Amino acid sequence: MIHRYHLDDWFIVIDTCSGSVHAVDEIAYEIIGCYEQKSREEILPEMARRFGEDPAEIADCYDQITELKEQGSLFSPDVFEPLAGELKKKTAGVVKALCLHVAHTCNLNCAYCFASQGKYHGERAVMSFEVGKQALDFLVKHSGGRHNLEVDFFGGEPLMNFDVVKQLTAYARSIEKESGKHFRFTLTTNGMLIDDDVIDFANREMSNVVLSLDGRKEIHDRCRVDYVGNGSWDRIVPKFRKLVEARGGKNYYMRGTFTHSNPDFLEDIKTMLDLGFTELSMEPVVCAAGDPAALTEEDLPVVLKQYEDLARLMLARRKEGRPFTFYHYMLDLSGGPCIYKRISGCGSGTEYMAVTPWGDLYPCHQFVGEEKFRLGDVWSGVTNTAVQEEFAACNVYAREECRDCWARLYCSGGCAANAYHAAGSVRGVYRYGCELFRKRMECAIMLQAALQEENDEADVDK
Amino acid sequence: MKHIKTLNTRNLCESAKKGGCGECQTSCQSACKTSCGIANQQCENKKEKK
Repeated sequence: MIHRYHLDDWFIVIDTCSGSVHAVDEIAYEIIGCYEQKSREEILPEMARRFGEDPAEIADCYDQITELKEQGSLFSPDVFEPLAGELKKKTAGVVKALCLHVAHTCNLNCAYCFASQGKYHGERAVMSFEVGKQALDFLVKHSGGRHNLEVDFFGGEPLMNFDVVKQLTAYARSIEKESGKHFRFTLTTNGMLIDDDVIDFANREMSNVVLSLDGRKEIHDRCRVDYVGNGSWDRIVPKFRKLVEARGGKNYYMRGTFTHSNPDFLEDIKTMLDLGFTELSMEPVVCAAGDPAALTEEDLPVVLKQYEDLARLMLARRKEGRPFTFYHYMLDLSGGPCIYKRISGCGSGTEYMAVTPWGDLYPCHQFVGEEKFRLGDVWSGVTNTAVQEEFAACNVYAREECRDCWARLYCSGGCAANAYHAAGSVRGVYRYGCELFRKRMECAIMLQAALQEENDEADVDK
Repeated sequence: MKHIKTLNTRNLCESAKKGGCGECQTSCQSACKTSCGIANQQCENKKEKK
């Protein structure tokens, strides 16, 4: 299966199953488009006429395409289906990442919060050290031969339980040597409680910090308000700037949410850049259809254009020596995941779970509060094996809709929670999200093509 | 005349022969938390060899 697209000056052909990406000229682009439907004898005169090109040149182009096909980098068949599930089978029972909900409470009252202001449709609560310690012990015990373990301090607002975050981090560090494990921590925060102590701790202990900022002040303050209804932008931006400055190049993401209020989210990204932030992520809101924040069909063309304009902005800024990172455009074509990972799905419910303040296990943070998805707890482990099996069976080939999608080996079947909310099944798909994902991949691959061209030109200049 | 420039990519068929160690990052444990994909993840094996 191939996918062809034209974006600005680029004609790009992706060979889905080999993972090959070709930047081509228009002649090759058109020949590839009809290569499988027509014969050489039909294609050559047609293209020679169309492009007013020397027939020998067209024949040469056609033969280059045939050569690529023979090498297995064009029109390659999907031979991976038998491998689906292999990785999960091999690593069955291994847990390598936990999302610790250390606080089911929040000091903001954001209108679009998927977690109902941190409460996840339940009671307000904070995680005790004992529960968190048990969760870390559960993780170590079930992590098999896996060396790097990932733990995200999440909420609600995790800094409302900062003492426990510090205690749990110290505990994890204390058992690293004896267990032969290495913990990579992430903190996801709205910024309200950031102070020098938090900054010092985060920069010392957190591999990554995810900071919630929606961009423009008026956009941010429309949703991200406190319980009195006051916007939080003015209070958090100086704290974020201080934290990032002190971070000295360590990983962080400024992460925004865009909704029906701001489908033109590139303006929000520009605000983040103006504030001096360079590691950025903007995510489409997750909410029920019909919610005022939900993205609509009318928003879709606007959003798709933002992704294209964002790629253009990244190219321009890179040329000016002012590059920035957009999370979804970070694509390592030569060093990305192997095919096993690409067909295995996201790992929620199997290698990744969320832990509530009471120690209950859920397939991921998005399912917390949905009682039927409760997997077990950190003392007894996973007891609801039926639900876990449902998640274990989630892979690219388990979703009929993915079979004809060129982007399936870049997304691995997508988000189970989005699928559940949109289609009523974790094995469904969230079509709107698919549209956005495909556009993001087209843009990300175009950026890679441009980067490789720049590098080639630089090599020639040397 | 060269009509096609093939970018450097990881050969997925080759990765089927020697892959699947499972050391890679969990897909959603980062900045997205909602719209997960795997394309932008690193292979831990390759990263260590670099």
